[in-house]
Amino acid sequence: MTEFLQQLVNGLSLGAIYALIALGYTMVYGVLRFINFAHSDVFMVGAFAGLYLAPLAPAGSILGGLLVVIGAMLAAGLLGVTIERLAYRPLRGAPTLNVLITAIGVSCLLQSAGQLVFGAAPRSFPVIFPARALSVGGLDFSSNQVVVLVVAISLVVGLRLIVFRTRMGAALRAVSQNPRAARLMGIDNDVVIRFTFALGSALAGAGGVLYAVNYPSIDPLMGVLPGLKAFVAAILGGIGSIPGAALGGLLLGLVETFVGGSQYSTYKDAIAFALLILFLLFRPAGLLGKTRVEKV
Amino acid sequence: MPAPLLQLSRATVRFGGLTAVDTLDLALGEHELVGLIGPNGAGKTTAFNLITGLYAPASGSVAFAGRDLAGLAPHRIVAAGIARTFQNIRLFGSLSVLDHVRVAGNLHRTAAPWQALVRGRAFRESEAAVTRRAEELLALFHLDRFRDAPARSLPYGEQRRLEIVRALATRPRLLLLDEPAAGLNPQEKIELVALIQRVHREFDLTILLVEHSMRVVMGVCQRIAVLDHGKKIAEGPPEAIRRDPAVIEAYLGPEHATAVFHH
Amino acid sequence: MRHPFSYLLLALVLGGVLSALSDRIDPYHLDVLIGVGINVVLAVSLNLIAGHTGQFSLGHAGFMAVGAYAAAAVTIFLGPHLIGDAPSPGGLAENALFGAALLGGGLAAAAAGLLVGIPSLRLRGDYLALVTLGFGEIIRVLLQNFEPLGGALGLNGIPAYTTVFWVVATAAATVFTVGCLVRSTYGLGFLAVRDDEIAASAAGLDPARYKVVAFTAGAFFAGIAGGLFGHFKMTITPSGFDFSRSIEIVVMVILGGLGNTFGVILAAVLLTLLPELLRPVAEYRLVLYSLLLIGLMLARPQGLFNFRPRSPASRA
Repeated sequence: MTEFLQQLVNGLSLGAIYALIALGYTMVYGVLRFINFAHSDVFMVGAFAGLYLAPLAPAGSILGGLLVVIGAMLAAGLLGVTIERLAYRPLRGAPTLNVLITAIGVSCLLQSAGQLVFGAAPRSFPVIFPARALSVGGLDFSSNQVVVLVVAISLVVGLRLIVFRTRMGAALRAVSQNPRAARLMGIDNDVVIRFTFALGSALAGAGGVLYAVNYPSIDPLMGVLPGLKAFVAAILGGIGSIPGAALGGLLLGLVETFVGGSQYSTYKDAIAFALLILFLLFRPAGLLGKTRVEKV
Repeated sequence: MPAPLLQLSRATVRFGGLTAVDTLDLALGEHELVGLIGPNGAGKTTAFNLITGLYAPASGSVAFAGRDLAGLAPHRIVAAGIARTFQNIRLFGSLSVLDHVRVAGNLHRTAAPWQALVRGRAFRESEAAVTRRAEELLALFHLDRFRDAPARSLPYGEQRRLEIVRALATRPRLLLLDEPAAGLNPQEKIELVALIQRVHREFDLTILLVEHSMRVVMGVCQRIAVLDHGKKIAEGPPEAIRRDPAVIEAYLGPEHATAVFHH
Repeated sequence: MRHPFSYLLLALVLGGVLSALSDRIDPYHLDVLIGVGINVVLAVSLNLIAGHTGQFSLGHAGFMAVGAYAAAAVTIFLGPHLIGDAPSPGGLAENALFGAALLGGGLAAAAAGLLVGIPSLRLRGDYLALVTLGFGEIIRVLLQNFEPLGGALGLNGIPAYTTVFWVVATAAATVFTVGCLVRSTYGLGFLAVRDDEIAASAAGLDPARYKVVAFTAGAFFAGIAGGLFGHFKMTITPSGFDFSRSIEIVVMVILGGLGNTFGVILAAVLLTLLPELLRPVAEYRLVLYSLLLIGLMLARPQGLFNFRPRSPASRA
């Protein structure tokens, strides 16, 4: 039982990071209907921004850690907006395939440029939050896991408030439901799309730092697998649905952690893709998504 | 009356809560030319999509030449002898005019796909036959001068004709035309009426025609069925339909129950 | 292609001549040539799936992996039983064994292609891309966990059977097959399915069948390319067939122009030679590749070597 609860905590903190990345995928898919492959590398850049910002903030304190997270969010948000402006906006209205290929190109660019700028070797991530081993009722976990969960949950709640309580959030929902009607209502779609990229990328940036806090070495290719898995999480939850992305992330984190702790641990990386294929075949709308009927 | 070629029996199509085609009974005899009309959203195109297998009936049945079409994939229904055109023209963006007709000749190709690699006599003869037949059809419809042009580069009216030719290349017994006059000017509409009559006569076909243009429908159809809100509200020869109060009401609302089909 | 067989014959003669002269060619150039040929096979076979049939696939390296492992398994485990323990590369028995191994690799990969082709029936666009990517990754993880074939460390000691003749012959056969197929009445169906599935089924074509055939045939040739690759490098690891390998093949197809066989061949040649030329600035290679890809999509989405005015990639 202790073992089970232990894994539960581990799974939740991994899942929280997947959820943060998944939100960016789902939001961009909501407004532009394409998989932003470069999102996983924005996550990576977020982690590296954290690495470079860490020495500037007081080490090992809550405040210092939060400052690093916020700094990484700003950097990632800025990167997301830049990518959208330079690579995706010129392709508005182009076939999905072209946008998809461009996204893959941007992803490769960030990875290879990352290897040049940050170096290809893994770098160890400094301690930014107070690190203590906690023990509650026979459960051992690190304070970092708690920090990850608390920060992730606050960000998701914050995102929900933005989407449902602000004018910009309402515009975002309008554009994702019907871009043309939104434009007729006087909404500037480009502004909303830029905002979506800023928000989603900032969350990925936070995810990058939190990931680095828990798995203390980072490298320019670190985004690939978590990014792909987070997209799978977005599909599991129902692409386009914000609570779905959060749910899918947690679910995937849990499943992976439990498989990782079992005798099948070497198959861990294949789980996400097996789930993806099963879901796309049997429940393409995901857990919380709605099915659309194609009009002929 | 002999057994009908196409028979819809209480066929119903639903999308969620909306009943797009409601217990529709419709029978087409061999060699008939029947019109299916109705106001926008009456369910005409849905009825076409039902017959061609794009939608499955929620209840009721569609039978063709005595055979129930339930569960048949669209391409199998084409193979059974029902071909169609589309209201919003659907041509292949990367194929030439000739290739549109060749590709539709696949149903009657005699060589197996792998023979393209051996390129023996059987393959060459099969390819030649498909091409010859395609060229004949194009010539018949005066599209041979566009033979190698990309289909999307054709003038609008010619694109509509090419769709009909593509449908004919599958050698159907029943041809479904979905608003073939949409977007045509009056002169082209007159030509279209002649074309439909010619196809009907020379290809020995049964035709079901969905059309908005009354001039076209009244001009060519032997019999007309009227749909409104998915239900058939009238059926009969053109003169009777023209005077049917239920039809006039469906088209223009109750206050306009005077002669309306004259323009 | 008025006389497709003459092209095939010409290519085979060329392969024979190169093979006969191979002792006099600089080994480095020979290696580059073999690399070019293998990439041509990969790119042209992916072009059948992604270009002609429009099923954007990001898992081509996975099919290559299946073929590489299956072919290597044949020569390593069956070889000694069939032709004895002391093979001499270049002998008749060895070449016969290699031919059988390549065929085995191709068939194994075709089976994998069939498996991937089936989900492709329900999916399109970026979802399909993701599923094929997932399949590629699953194949990699399965191979990593399969100890009889070396597990994560890979498979060593594969005999060096790949010669320039085998590579040129395979490349020629691939181009011939894909070329003849898509020009035939049957093969026009691939293009029709890509352009508009509903219109294709209205013309009596079965879109599902075309997609599965494209995946199976494309995977078959990728599997043979994998077999050539394994017997060229003499050692293979699962991580050598990862996502980035798939992307490399995708870039060749995009650069050449989706559905444009000639352009894709040119792009495969160019993208294999380019890294060799760029050796002095090797660390900038991937940056250049990705900038090329992005720039291409923004400025010339029909591909660099596609000179036809109309293009499938720019259809509405």
